[in-house]
Amino acid sequence: MEPRRELIRGSANSLLLCLIGQQSMYGYQIIKELEKRSQGYFKFKEGTLYPALHRLEKAGLILGKWQLLSNSRPRRYYRITAKGHSKLAAERVHWQDFLHAMNLIF
Amino acid sequence: MTTSLSHYLEDIRDNLRIDRSEEREVISELETHVEDKLQELKEAGLSEEEATETCLGLLGSAKLIARQIYEAHSQGSWRQALLASMPHLLFGILFVLNWWHHIGWLSITLTLILVTVIYGWVHGKPTWVFSWLGYSLLPVVVVGLLLPHLPKGWSLLAIPLYFPLALWWLFCIVVQTTRRDWLFSSLMLLPTPIIIGWFLTVAPDGRFTEYTLQRVYYFAPWIGLSFLILALTIAAFIRLRQRWLRIVLLIISGLLTLTMVAYYASGRLSLTTFVGLILVMWGLFLVPPLLDRWLRKGRRIFKRRISYRLPTRVAN
Repeated sequence: MEPRRELIRGSANSLLLCLIGQQSMYGYQIIKELEKRSQGYFKFKEGTLYPALHRLEKAGLILGKWQLLSNSRPRRYYRITAKGHSKLAAERVHWQDFLHAMNLIF
Repeated sequence: MTTSLSHYLEDIRDNLRIDRSEEREVISELETHVEDKLQELKEAGLSEEEATETCLGLLGSAKLIARQIYEAHSQGSWRQALLASMPHLLFGILFVLNWWHHIGWLSITLTLILVTVIYGWVHGKPTWVFSWLGYSLLPVVVVGLLLPHLPKGWSLLAIPLYFPLALWWLFCIVVQTTRRDWLFSSLMLLPTPIIIGWFLTVAPDGRFTEYTLQRVYYFAPWIGLSFLILALTIAAFIRLRQRWLRIVLLIISGLLTLTMVAYYASGRLSLTTFVGLILVMWGLFLVPPLLDRWLRKGRRIFKRRISYRLPTRVAN
């Protein structure tokens, strides 16, 4: 089933923080991982991932750094910051409360 | 990478309008993503053409991506807002406190402006420097105002030299600023009609006399207030993210400040002059985006000519 756009928009930052919180990733990797772990449910419009990442970086929640691995192109890896960890913890609580409330109604 | 994808990235670059160093990183990042995606699609069995088309479809609108990245980067900090509004604040304070006629304070202010402009220009032209840049045209204007007062022979010699040089200097500054972002050109030129308005109020015949100085004393608080309004406008501009909001802010601020100049000039500015100043303001707002369009068109034609010529050169 296709997810509703407004639901995706509301959860995009949380999803990105959650993935990056588990390990440093670059943009293309984030899209593939998101799709894989959600079993195809979350499919980011690939170009608009980068504005979302830049917004998170400007907010100080993640930090991007160029890395050149052997036999590979230079890539910009993003890792979560301490501020990002706090935000993620707060978001987790909000989502759990939200899902709990939704389950009570549904 | 195919030509279509190169043009796509070029479209994004053309519409980004962020700091050059950030722009380079954004484009490199997108380039890497495109190369990874193309590789994946080709490994899945698509031809180069099919992979390119699929990749472009998956990436989405270049203008939308550029706008969203612009909004992510555009908002300046409060420190940058204060720095950007500083030149207007300084002049505002000079007039409100009636210190404008103290050579010492005036010299300090002008020296500070010159040093800050040079520093900002040399250090990558950060956003806050563009409001200072307009004031770097002040010495040019002052020289122009002093020239008619030179001994007759000298002024006849100097004036024909001055105008082309002054226009060239103005053109260079405006073009360099427009290359970065035409909105910064508009920001830089915003005080011009207001300063002209006050100039016409205190010296309607273009000459500085004893009476002119008395008028400046009289209008100084209102002149200072108009500079303070400009300072607030710049600070708000720096803090806003959306481009359209920045444009609306500049237009409204320009119109309001000009109206204030006309009102407090107590009838010394005729309706014709007021309308003329509004037209000057609109002209100054319209020239940068038109110039931007012309510069981008020229750059795009040049780049595409270069990219189409290369295979021929290699074959020869």
